[in-house]
Amino acid sequence: MSMIRTEHVSKKFGHLEVLKDVNLTVENGEVICIIGPSGAGKSTFLRSLNQLEMITGGKIFIEDELFLHREHDRTVDSIDKDKHKALMLEMGMVFQHFNLFPHKTVLENLMLAPMTVKGMNQTEIEPLARQLLEEVGLSDKADEYPSKLSGGQKQRVAIARALAMQPKIMLFDEPTSALDPELVGEVLNVMKKLAEEGMTMLCVTHEMGFAREVADKVVFMADGIIMEEGKPEELFNNPQNPRTKQFLQSIL
Amino acid sequence: MKNSKIASFFKGLLSLFDVRKWERKSKIIAVVLLSLFVAATAFAFVKPSEQELMDSASQKIRSELKKDETRSRRQVAITYNDLYFINYASFSTSGVKGISEKYVGFAGSVHAADEGAWNVTGQFINYTYRMLGCGQSVLYGAKLTILLTTISIVCGLFIAVFLALGKISKNPIISLPCRAYIFFFRGTPLMIQIFCIYLAVPGIFEGFSWRSLFDNNDPEGVFKGAFVAACIAFVLNSAAYCAEIVRAAVESIDKGQYEAAKALGMSYGQTMSKIIIPQSARRMIPPVCNEFVMMIKDASLVFVIGLMDITTISKTISASGSYLVFIPALVIYLIITAFFTYIFGKIEKKFSVYE
Repeated sequence: MSMIRTEHVSKKFGHLEVLKDVNLTVENGEVICIIGPSGAGKSTFLRSLNQLEMITGGKIFIEDELFLHREHDRTVDSIDKDKHKALMLEMGMVFQHFNLFPHKTVLENLMLAPMTVKGMNQTEIEPLARQLLEEVGLSDKADEYPSKLSGGQKQRVAIARALAMQPKIMLFDEPTSALDPELVGEVLNVMKKLAEEGMTMLCVTHEMGFAREVADKVVFMADGIIMEEGKPEELFNNPQNPRTKQFLQSIL
Repeated sequence: MKNSKIASFFKGLLSLFDVRKWERKSKIIAVVLLSLFVAATAFAFVKPSEQELMDSASQKIRSELKKDETRSRRQVAITYNDLYFINYASFSTSGVKGISEKYVGFAGSVHAADEGAWNVTGQFINYTYRMLGCGQSVLYGAKLTILLTTISIVCGLFIAVFLALGKISKNPIISLPCRAYIFFFRGTPLMIQIFCIYLAVPGIFEGFSWRSLFDNNDPEGVFKGAFVAACIAFVLNSAAYCAEIVRAAVESIDKGQYEAAKALGMSYGQTMSKIIIPQSARRMIPPVCNEFVMMIKDASLVFVIGLMDITTISKTISASGSYLVFIPALVIYLIITAFFTYIFGKIEKKFSVYE
């Protein structure tokens, strides 16, 4: 069963065509890293999966169900509202700039969405939240406000916050790009651990080392389309597409 | 969950009253305020009746008072201040010596005024007493100013949140009325709005009058009715101004917060009430405090419908030649403003705990 499948997804901002024709399948338990030059539409693609951007055309399937079908900026077909909400909750997202809620403590950040969206009791969610904090190595920061944390700690809290909703798919939008170099490792370690636990992950990243080591599949995007995809060792060591070669040469 | 929230809210509220946790400064201020309150209450009881004052007055004073009964300044005092005896006496300090010695001071007994410094002090105290409206049955002076501005800011802010969210809304059916409301109330003078509500509304709805909201036998009914009308005008007006403050604060919140909330599956209402409004509240406080201070001074506009605030009372008193009254008026304004600035500072500190 594929977790996410997109067919001919396109996105235009006015006249600017950011996504042209993106077809991607994410299998259950798969870790996919999306790489590519800036302006390639990697983030837009990730955000359109999560409905943060409305696609202009194409189909999105989640768990083999047609989630959204749009043509020429009009919705042709979409899943009914209740199911839509349920499927949305199966996707967790981690942002480049963390976007933690600054007025809530770390623990409250984790508990807020389960309590308001799922209507869980504090007694139900608190053990899970504390356990998640321990998994990301921040159980001693539970009562701190986000402003007291370092960038790496913030991003780990953000990951824990997304996990508190118990999603099946995690979307990472350049999770380490805003971090100081020495803090990147701690976030990548958490992500690695998550991948080992079998989480389905879709990760836009510039960390080639991480992509090579953890990803099941690496996708190279440029100019709004997927230029090449394949196993990391194949794509990194023996790229077929000239654009991929050029990109890899420029960064390595 | 709901219950525990309410419980924790009350716990927080109760902890405010836990004197042991207060700072030294707060304690001093509390003691000063409390003693002022006690003093005001005491003076309210000390106030002798007209009969008592008459009885204790000498023959000469009695005849003076009798003579003055029809005079305009005494008329003013009767209409707006049931402490007119004291004030009458204090007016007279400059003129009739015999009267002044007997009657200047709190309720005619606390403070005897002589020539020079004591005379000035006596007048100050009397004016202050009158402007604060201590011991009176309706809203006068400082009481009116404080009540009116507090009600209008609190209610106005509540309405403003909805107005601001409405104005931001992408749906024109919601946003257009909100825009029109804000445009109208910011674009027209407050004084005319007060007129409209106090005079035009009873004109439109026949049989309705602001006075009729209160018991017919209530001698203060006309003032209470006017106060209600003034409150409505001030609330509507401050809602429009506060709406712009709220809108600016809401729009200053990082877009990422909306995205994070949406990615977590929160609805618009949940995002606003749990994420955006609490964060923007902290940014609203300085401009709202500013608005509040402006409104304290704007409150004097209520004179157009027969209510007296500090400014109007001091002007009335000064009409009888006592220009000293403006100095205590300034001091009262300063104290009110300082008090509320302090309160707003405290609230701001409380809200910025996460920064």
